[in-house]
Amino acid sequence: MRKLLLTFMALIVFSGSAYAETIKASVNGLVCAFCATAIEKTFKAQPAVETIKVDLETKLVTITTKPDQNLDDETVKKLITDAGYTITGITREETNEPAE
Amino acid sequence: MDSKFIQTIIFAVSIAGAGFPASAIAKPLSYPGGTMVMQENDETGHTLSLDYTVTPKYAVAIYAKKESGGDDYTTVGPQINTLIKRWNLPDGQGNIFNLTGIGVSHEGSDNEFAAWTSLLADYETRRIFVSYEPRIMYAGGIDKSFSQRGRVGFAPYLANYEDLNTWFMVQVDHHPKKDDTFVVTPLVRLFYKTTLVEAGYSSNDHLMFNWQLQF
Repeated sequence: MRKLLLTFMALIVFSGSAYAETIKASVNGLVCAFCATAIEKTFKAQPAVETIKVDLETKLVTITTKPDQNLDDETVKKLITDAGYTITGITREETNEPAE
Repeated sequence: MDSKFIQTIIFAVSIAGAGFPASAIAKPLSYPGGTMVMQENDETGHTLSLDYTVTPKYAVAIYAKKESGGDDYTTVGPQINTLIKRWNLPDGQGNIFNLTGIGVSHEGSDNEFAAWTSLLADYETRRIFVSYEPRIMYAGGIDKSFSQRGRVGFAPYLANYEDLNTWFMVQVDHHPKKDDTFVVTPLVRLFYKTTLVEAGYSSNDHLMFNWQLQF
């Protein structure tokens, strides 16, 4: 009975979770706030993007996707290239977010 | 400080200064779908342009300028801004742009076909800025001229995206057909996110006041 209850609780917890992703892109050419704005506006127009942060100091663009949504490497690369900059690397980190 | 407050202050100062004499500005392209409004008031006249970036390499613009300090006339017409080459480096960016337009120049009762083209080369890091722009203007019997403009600047501190960016710059204009052939203008550039303003005072005693907004 106890095992059944635990299994049931686990099912409730996991069915209420979704995976969001944090994508960090290293970018060349990021030298001013206007550059950052171009990248910010380009990514904010994507339905899969929850948040976007541009750091001129580290030259990193950090994108968080909405739960269970994804931006593949090719899309990230194209969006940054279209904004006028050059991507030099991408790292990804999955985060467990409560579903809405 | 609150970002909206800073933008409001910059915008208010820009509007207040728009009637003063002032000069040249930032990159003539933003990002696909982006719009820029630029106004320059300097010893060469008053310029207003509205740019819409179509692709990463092309923007279309409406350009208008009232020249002063020599032949005083007005030019209006469409312009295409092209990114010819960009170098994205780990700590800097270099660009070569072409700005070409055609339109009508008006002086007194005279209206003439006008065409103009310039190359704009720039290089900047978060600390230094250099640019050079040679320009040719043809306006039939009103004007046929060559001019060139160079700028150097440095940032006294390294600002991040959320900070107010400050630059100290010197602009040198060479326009053989104007009353003052060489003009030097020290200026201060401030920008915060999508709003840029510049103010300076030229060696021929004119105030410079420029502003740019991105949408």
